[in-house]
Amino acid sequence: MKKFILKIVVFAIPILLLAYGLDVYLSNNLRKSNTFAHLEYPIWNDVLEGNLNADILIHGSSRAWVHFDPKILEDVLQLTAYNLGVDGHTFNMQYLRHKLALKYNDKPQMIIHSVDATTLQKGDFFNSEQILPYMLWEKDFQEFTSEYESYSYFDYNLPLLRYYSQTEAISTAFKMNMSSNNNPQIRVKGYQGQERTWNSDFDKAKKLMKGFEVKIDETLKMKFDRYLKDCKANNIEVVLVYAPLYSEGKAFIKNEEVLINTYQKFAETYGFAFFDFTNDDICNDKAYFYNARHMNKLGAELFTKKLATKIKTEINIDSIKN
Amino acid sequence: MLFNSIDFAIFLPIVFILYWFVTNKSLKLQNILLVVSSYIFYGWWDWRFLSLILFSTLIDYSVGRALAKENAISKRRLLLWTSILVNIGFLGFFKYYNFFLENFVSAFSFFGKEINANSLNIILPVGISFYTFQTLSYTIDVYKRKLEPTKDVIAFSAFVSFFPQLVAGPIERATNLLPQFYKHRKFKYSSAVDGLRQILWGLFKKVVIADNCAKYANYIFDNSADLNGSTLVLGAVFFTFQIYGDFSGYSDIAIGISRLFGFNLKQNFAFPYFSRDIAEFWRRWHMSLSTWFRDYLYIPLGGSRGRLTKTIRNVFIIFIVSGFWHGANWTFIVWGALNAVYFLPILLTKNNRNHLNTIAEGRLFPSLKEFTLMMITFILTVFAWIFFRAETIEHAFNYTSGIFSNSLFSTPYFENGTLAIPTVLLVVFFSIVEWFGRQDQYAIESMFKNHKVLKWSFYYLIVILIFVFAGSSQEFIYFQF
Repeated sequence: MKKFILKIVVFAIPILLLAYGLDVYLSNNLRKSNTFAHLEYPIWNDVLEGNLNADILIHGSSRAWVHFDPKILEDVLQLTAYNLGVDGHTFNMQYLRHKLALKYNDKPQMIIHSVDATTLQKGDFFNSEQILPYMLWEKDFQEFTSEYESYSYFDYNLPLLRYYSQTEAISTAFKMNMSSNNNPQIRVKGYQGQERTWNSDFDKAKKLMKGFEVKIDETLKMKFDRYLKDCKANNIEVVLVYAPLYSEGKAFIKNEEVLINTYQKFAETYGFAFFDFTNDDICNDKAYFYNARHMNKLGAELFTKKLATKIKTEINIDSIKN
Repeated sequence: MLFNSIDFAIFLPIVFILYWFVTNKSLKLQNILLVVSSYIFYGWWDWRFLSLILFSTLIDYSVGRALAKENAISKRRLLLWTSILVNIGFLGFFKYYNFFLENFVSAFSFFGKEINANSLNIILPVGISFYTFQTLSYTIDVYKRKLEPTKDVIAFSAFVSFFPQLVAGPIERATNLLPQFYKHRKFKYSSAVDGLRQILWGLFKKVVIADNCAKYANYIFDNSADLNGSTLVLGAVFFTFQIYGDFSGYSDIAIGISRLFGFNLKQNFAFPYFSRDIAEFWRRWHMSLSTWFRDYLYIPLGGSRGRLTKTIRNVFIIFIVSGFWHGANWTFIVWGALNAVYFLPILLTKNNRNHLNTIAEGRLFPSLKEFTLMMITFILTVFAWIFFRAETIEHAFNYTSGIFSNSLFSTPYFENGTLAIPTVLLVVFFSIVEWFGRQDQYAIESMFKNHKVLKWSFYYLIVILIFVFAGSSQEFIYFQF
């Protein structure tokens, strides 16, 4: 028996010794990729390395990521901005980004939070590869994402284990190590305008169903409330923004008006601004959208200009600057 | 609990340590530990079905005890049928109730009579076909006086629920496995190392070969109407390797784990895709099930003795029942019947025992004749697997007609198809290793036996391949049977 156990130990030692080093190697190279994991690594890197340097942070889902152009906000408001929109995620992941942004960066003066029908909905762990290079070292990831079931306790705490079966991530890490030429920076300050025209997504959805009702997750709602309270306490001005929806698509979510009212109430409770763009002229023109819930670059730029002007006129920017 | 899960990676060492370090002084304690561990292992899926195993165990134990005391033929027969009816009754209800109901309804409606019958929402207990057949083998062997009925209810419970092979075999005979629970097990270094090696190879087969092939086989079968003939052939070949990697991989892991605990299970697969005819294929594929049907169904029916029509009937019965054992769907029945059609000419011309040895024994390459025979058998097998994998008979026929179309000779193409290239390379690597190891119990049993450095490097290579190329986790196919 002793010989058997010794043999297992001897066989396992090189693996265990190499595990941590390999983990560091894979993680450090993987995070260099600007395109893997739905383009999220450059944003996480800036968050965790304290590179945001922004007076204004934009939070939200893909509707933040493709709708709010920081450059336009900067030009109009004369404040620096960074878009932290995270594709496919509801408030839980947005809150994690907020927490980590505060932990590693200077406090922003303002947060523009893109809210919508899905913000307070319980979501799944879309694009779970986005936390691969960081989760061994940054324990907040475990706190916020362990409920999704994508990773086990051991994945967060043992080196290399989480790379099991991640063939694409491993090959990307090697490619990044060998050559970083084919690694275009697509998201600029977190934003990526979509040069796309109207597609068939909405027609397909209409064929599948007549519409649906969104159920608010009470735990997320409480989290959102705590988040606004903390921002208030930290003197961060929050602007809740319901970005334009294509007019026909708005009716698709049957309780969208109820949801809009929910955010309106949140804003009133904490004395923050709430800007609802769901009745804006943009909503009536398909040319500004590529599907019912996402504007293309043309629409996003027009919308950001309108938003920036509204912020400039309705919020006392000077007090923020000072 | 899946063998390729983190839960099992924790479970196995705990049971191993308790088995060899805590309960090793007492055979009874070791058996109790195996029963408890097996029940935990099974209950991890759904604890409610533990009652089925427990009930089946108690029925067959009691029938066995009663058979020991009974000499009257009629009463012995009654006891045997009690066990058969209870066991097959459970299997029939959970696995076939809805199938028969739906087919009765369809048959009546075909003749113009409409009946209202509601199918039940029945969950199939994992591995029910395996442990049912295992316990039946005990009762039948005791009835035939081939085996002394056991007095040890703990040993019998351990035999029925032995976790390494509980949910997907090999289906062990009571004559082989049960006596091993009576004897004190001693830890054997060489067996344990061999067990680990077989587990490693089984894992590779499952998580690298089967799970990666599954990804493409599933895609091609799900979208078969839109794909060209050569792609459909590729899909069938992917499934051929998927099912082999999945099932033989599970058997390797089960046999390997058993060896860690001092048990020897029978070989379940002997490189079936290197067979030179269908008879040889069936001697090498799922051997524990094939021999079960041979001994408890084919031979009692008269086997190949007697009139020609009786032989043909028996062959069809055994293959169709074997197909039906896999699932309540006409696709499995057609798959079985197709294999009967393949097998019959060989049997009737008395060529069914032509290839009892291993192909190219003692040689590196097969002769041209052997290679041709092997390829023909492989193609026939791939074709039959289409019926096994298809969702319905109609799907299978559409799939095969899609193959035999003009597009058969075009280049295979499907969305993101280039991503399948590493999987194809892995299948080639796997086939080469299997070829080199075809004379052993499992492919890497004596790979680089006398070259320690090469041997260990090869093991590390397998570990790396498993780590990097493990496909997205899929349940073992045979769990559903």
